[in-house]
Amino acid sequence: MTEIDKFIPTKNITLFRSCLVSAEYPGVESSTKYVFDKLGVEYVIDRNQSCCTGLGHYYDIFDELSTAALAARNFHYAIKNDHKQYVPMCATCYAILKSSAKLLNEKDEVREKVNKAFRENGLEEFQYDKGDIDVKNDITHVVDVLYYLRDKIPEHKKRDISNLIIATHHGCHYCKVHYDDTLCGYRNPEIIDKICEVMDAPALKWYDHKPRHCGGGFRQRYANRELSLDATEDKFLSLHKENVDVLLVMCPNCQLQFDRYQQVLEDRTGDKHYFAILNIAQLVALYMGADPYKVLGIQTHTVNVEPLLEKLGIDYNPEEDTLHVRK
Amino acid sequence: MKRQEMVNESQDDLAHKVLKDIKAPADLGLLRCVQCGLCTSMCPASRHSEYDAREIIKRVLDNDETIIEDDIIWNCFYCYTCHSVCPVGNSVCEVNQILRQMAIDKDTGKKQIESFMSFADSYLEEGLGIIPKEHYNQLRTDYGKHWENLQENLDDVRNDLGLDSMYLLPEAKETVDKTLEAIGFKKRVKEVKDVRNRK
Repeated sequence: MTEIDKFIPTKNITLFRSCLVSAEYPGVESSTKYVFDKLGVEYVIDRNQSCCTGLGHYYDIFDELSTAALAARNFHYAIKNDHKQYVPMCATCYAILKSSAKLLNEKDEVREKVNKAFRENGLEEFQYDKGDIDVKNDITHVVDVLYYLRDKIPEHKKRDISNLIIATHHGCHYCKVHYDDTLCGYRNPEIIDKICEVMDAPALKWYDHKPRHCGGGFRQRYANRELSLDATEDKFLSLHKENVDVLLVMCPNCQLQFDRYQQVLEDRTGDKHYFAILNIAQLVALYMGADPYKVLGIQTHTVNVEPLLEKLGIDYNPEEDTLHVRK
Repeated sequence: MKRQEMVNESQDDLAHKVLKDIKAPADLGLLRCVQCGLCTSMCPASRHSEYDAREIIKRVLDNDETIIEDDIIWNCFYCYTCHSVCPVGNSVCEVNQILRQMAIDKDTGKKQIESFMSFADSYLEEGLGIIPKEHYNQLRTDYGKHWENLQENLDDVRNDLGLDSMYLLPEAKETVDKTLEAIGFKKRVKEVKDVRNRK
């Protein structure tokens, strides 16, 4: 078992909201809350928190100084609320927050520039002191918390999910950016797999391209669509070969790439095989008995999740989904 | 060895400009690159396009400043795979980010990012990021009618899920706006838009 060499919080948490979770897969937020509540994790959500800038940062429209200043502003609220433990649902938020804290801690001239801008514009309260946030121990991903509390997960079992063929896809910005802080490996990442194991639903040990990225590539998805989809195809075809029922992700960007583009990828490759895409928090919530529409929010997924529910023998009322166009 | 000596002679070459950039981590192993090519072997852009991660570093170490205006730097996926496998602690991904910022200091880079500026507008208005609107036409085709229905009914969907509003509190929006003004982001946005409008 992997030794945990960073602090994993179970209280004083600010659940850090993600733009893509909020607007594309809000069920990831409600599922995370559902699972945290069951596990007795204490957290708040703060509407003072702004976007981490992540997507804009990697579209190159945010410069480093702006991202750092916005991070300092967010850190201020977390500290002031006595909920300093940032736990993001998105791999990019996780990495950007860590990078920003590292920059503010390590580069005195950057911190001073940011603080000076705050001081000169009536924003003194946002000033950041070196070490206010500990890069390794104050910023953890939701999967870190689930992994840490994994032995408690089966205590809340309501549904058997052991007949699923599961593949896991680990967010690059969780595994590869701050790799010294990654639990359960980053070259062959296994943290989601370990969470599946406690639910008696082991994931495939390996499939071709398992540690590879989703192909989204920030600007590439929009400005360089063909290149982006070429890259996604590698993993997509490999998943078909393995006949998976569900791909588990931990980042809304990856979720979007595999879910919103499944039809496009099928048309492009001529290869068809149904599989659902779920965030790991959604699967844990389902295992704990959560409602597919009212908690998991499967109506927001492009790829219908209902066939997966059928395989699991879970009752559902398709009328609750008013977003899909019925044929 | 020869390269190392050359680099030491001149501290204002491209490699040192990269190392001095605000984005460069203090421990970036750029000068330690031995051109082993592990980065290229794992890189999605190198697999599927003319981009070659190892070549990017070679050109930087060779002080080839034409790379800043070369479109090829815009192919990196920022997946950090190269960063995570590099045996000497270099990061092609982060070097690329710095090269792009150097390009943005010129018009070439501004033209590359102009179709993402609705993200900046959204941030200035709401403190939140969005999928860039400039690309919506293609997305409507790719994602289908369901996605449009989701956008139109998002507040209701969130409500059904028992979620609070995704928007920032009014006073929080105000301090985000002030922060972006104070740190110079608004000025940067204006400069990019000026290049777009000049076309």
